[in-house]
Amino acid sequence: MPFGRRNVLLALLAIGAIVPAFANGYQLFVCNLVAIYILLAIGLNILVGYAGQLAFANAAMFGIGAYATGLLQVHLGWPFWAAFPSGGLIAAAVGTLLALPALRMSGLYLALSTLAFAQATQWVFLHWENVTFGAGGFKTPHLSFAPLPVDKSVGLYYLSIVLVVLLYLFGRHVVTSRIGRAFVAVRDSEVAAESLGIDLLRYKALAFGISGFYAGVAGGLYSALLNFVAPEGYDLFQMIIQKSTIVVGGMGSIAGSVIGASIIILVLELLREVKGMQEIAFGALLVGFVLFMRGGLIAVLRRYVRGWEEPLRMTPRDQAQALAQPEARPSAADK
Amino acid sequence: MFAAAFTASAATAQTPGVTADTIKIGTFGALTGPGYLYGKLPMNGVEVVFDEINKAGGINGRKLQLVREDDRCDPTAAIGAVKKLVEQDQVFAIIGGGCSNATFAAKDTLEASKVPTLIFASVHDGITIPPAANIFSTATTSTIESQAQLAYAIEQGAKKIAIISMRDSWGRARYTPLMEAFKAKDIKPVADEELSPDANDATAQVLRLKAAGADAVLLLLYPKPAAVFIRDAQKLGFKPLSLGQTGIADPAAFEEQVGVPGATANFRTISQVRYTPEDPKMDKWRKLVEAKFPGDRLSVYNLFGIGSAEVLVEALQRAGKDLTREKVIDAFANLKDLKTEVYSAPITCSATDHRCNKGPAWMAKEPGGPIKVLGFTVVGQ
Amino acid sequence: MLLFSYLLMSGVTTGALYALVALGIVVVNKATGVINFAQGEFFMFTGFVGWMLHVQFGLNYPLSFLLAVAVGFVLGMLTDRIAFRPIAKNDIVSLVLATVGIGFILKGLARVIWGGKADYLSFPPITSPDPIMVGPLMVIPQQLAVLAGTIIIMLVFAAFFRLTRAGKMMQATADNARAALLVGIRTDRIYTLAFGTGAAIAAAAAVLTAPLTLLYPDIGFAFFLKGFAAAVLGGLTSLPGAVLGGLIVGVAESLAGGYIHSSVMELSPFLVIMLVLVLRPSGLLSFRKARRV
Repeated sequence: MPFGRRNVLLALLAIGAIVPAFANGYQLFVCNLVAIYILLAIGLNILVGYAGQLAFANAAMFGIGAYATGLLQVHLGWPFWAAFPSGGLIAAAVGTLLALPALRMSGLYLALSTLAFAQATQWVFLHWENVTFGAGGFKTPHLSFAPLPVDKSVGLYYLSIVLVVLLYLFGRHVVTSRIGRAFVAVRDSEVAAESLGIDLLRYKALAFGISGFYAGVAGGLYSALLNFVAPEGYDLFQMIIQKSTIVVGGMGSIAGSVIGASIIILVLELLREVKGMQEIAFGALLVGFVLFMRGGLIAVLRRYVRGWEEPLRMTPRDQAQALAQPEARPSAADK
Repeated sequence: MFAAAFTASAATAQTPGVTADTIKIGTFGALTGPGYLYGKLPMNGVEVVFDEINKAGGINGRKLQLVREDDRCDPTAAIGAVKKLVEQDQVFAIIGGGCSNATFAAKDTLEASKVPTLIFASVHDGITIPPAANIFSTATTSTIESQAQLAYAIEQGAKKIAIISMRDSWGRARYTPLMEAFKAKDIKPVADEELSPDANDATAQVLRLKAAGADAVLLLLYPKPAAVFIRDAQKLGFKPLSLGQTGIADPAAFEEQVGVPGATANFRTISQVRYTPEDPKMDKWRKLVEAKFPGDRLSVYNLFGIGSAEVLVEALQRAGKDLTREKVIDAFANLKDLKTEVYSAPITCSATDHRCNKGPAWMAKEPGGPIKVLGFTVVGQ
Repeated sequence: MLLFSYLLMSGVTTGALYALVALGIVVVNKATGVINFAQGEFFMFTGFVGWMLHVQFGLNYPLSFLLAVAVGFVLGMLTDRIAFRPIAKNDIVSLVLATVGIGFILKGLARVIWGGKADYLSFPPITSPDPIMVGPLMVIPQQLAVLAGTIIIMLVFAAFFRLTRAGKMMQATADNARAALLVGIRTDRIYTLAFGTGAAIAAAAAVLTAPLTLLYPDIGFAFFLKGFAAAVLGGLTSLPGAVLGGLIVGVAESLAGGYIHSSVMELSPFLVIMLVLVLRPSGLLSFRKARRV
């Protein structure tokens, strides 16, 4: 494969792998957060960028993953290594259920009903105190990586990196497979997709389930990182951050999710320097990104990094534009 | 950014945050988002105290420097803020803690860092119980206030006590100890309603409390929903004894917010500070805050920071010229009967109890009249 | 019965508030197809401006009202220019995020300018604060003013859309932007007008209700959420639908709180929405066009 996406990502991975060697506790914490948000962004991008489902429930899935992982440990005494994958699966299952309303609605109506679901989930976290401990949240048991002689923060960080690599590859595989093509067909035209024999329910459920799984896994890691689970942090502000990661990175691009998540989290930390002006700066950055980087950073990278290919990248709008311009580059869209 | 941090951490071999002429103090809390009242405003108060100390020559010749970090009232951001303060900004001590859940989430990080920490606004009991060696609090904790509320209601002869609370972590931090206080006295609340922090209408809640025949209502609410509640109660002819807590620490501002004349006649509240912002004794602080932060008005939240900073300054002074973190922690643990300019009760910490402010003052305001301090309730536990 | 009447009354007055927010959302959406996620912040910001004019600078109420509405209109126009016009052809998530960004900027500005003045700013009521009797019910006159204001605003805009040329042009643009261009409608001006009007409605709502709601930089989002829910409930392109949606959300909240328990109040609007959207996915009053295959 020519120089391009793979090399840039490998470079990032290399940097990521040696971070614990020279970072202080704060920087390690931030890098671990980046890994978690990368997982969230990949899952969300599969759902929104590829399958075209305008869903606002990902933050709730994130929360469900975190709560499930934590509560299985606290209430049932399960070890982290059992609770963690279960948390991911539970979130995936709940996500799949959301495919049902997605069948009847699209666009803004789907957005609202998933938003309603997210609010309902927050309400449950807050009010089902016997199980979720309510507003005060609960502390999760400390994670130990015994028998490996590894400090908890470093161990968790490497676990996150490993998961990011695995789930990135899985995501790429899904997206370049039949399933991915079916997703894009559903996104571009449900009617045409159905007439080609694509079962909408099956593929929507798959999309919701996959993104739910990614969010659930991210949630489990998050609960271990903070050692604490509480209803804050899975609300609409969280959803906005997640949407920002995929818009900034580039919708419909797995690699874009990696870059977008890294940028947004790093920006949020860098904004600490602006103290009280954070909200203004964040808002301005959002507007700026959307205005000046159509298609996200991936679009910029495609132009400047030789051989950067993206599967199934073009949206109908892009296609129309490409057709309209006579000197359209023979880009990956035709792949 | 990485390289700078690397060289910085290699350079400070001696006590971090202390140089020959400065002491770096960190603070974390919400600078943005709804919790900013408990973060930014107390921090402003802290800065004003530091300015005064610096004008007088500093502490043992060292000037105080405040480094602020935003936690957006979010647990993750709080952990990040504390880590940054300790590991990157290399502060000597920390004064801060706004939103309850955020501070509670950061407790482990604070404890592990061994940095002397003074909490100025968070009320969550888990922060101080069990006590961490280096964490002290000048905020009256929710247990103390909830017990005080119930005790006062009973003292005033109420027979049917009801509760109305917010469901967030702040509200729950007060609700749980309140229910335990009820159980300890072997009584049950006659009604237990919930009100959202952004509520604009409390008709349903008022009607249910009225139907239950409550003669006293304990408000576990921020000023806005409390104002909505009192206003709607007045409208519906329901006038029980209404007891607030330090979340509603300024009866004069509250009366203005309720906006219905006479509605606050039966309202009493607790304050961790002995004066309200309009009190002439607070003129000095008013001038300083309004000069440093143009456009701002002295508020009770500034006073939380001012009081807490006074305690921090005292501990720093007692630790002496040869400043180490252990000495400051020791100084905190041995504070006894420290009188401050703003707190109601003298500040006392101990090795086993790091809740240093246990004497909130009850206040009432005659509608249209002056504020009266009704007395203090010192709760033992 | 009295309990029910009080709950109904309170639900209707809160519902009128949500309806006003929903109206602003629908006006913009009708013309541009975009949901302005900053609508709540427009409401909050112009409320503060109104406070500044009336309480700080001492201007009289009608003048403060008009100036605040003017400021709202300008805010809307700026949003159109900055966050909509350049990216009108982007995907919807980007458009939403752009308006979210504007919302953050306004919220941060409000916090910096007015945040330190008090925890919640109160606005003196325009009517006497003493409750009056309407039948067997005691009502706060300001609430009646809000109700009346909502109805007037709705009627004014209904007339605007039906009767004026500009209104009809807005409807045409909403229906089919390309066709509108073909018949010579300056669609970009229509977009500006739509955003400006939506923000002006938010400003009118804010100043009208400011005596009832205490001002605080973060009140915007809660209103937006309920307003958005109400707008979708009514069908995103129907003005009377927005009002109906708002009233339903308000009343559902109030009745649930009164008859079940106050803890379900925060949840009930969303339960209602999920129910309605499952049964009637395009909202109550909008008629979904049959999908062309």
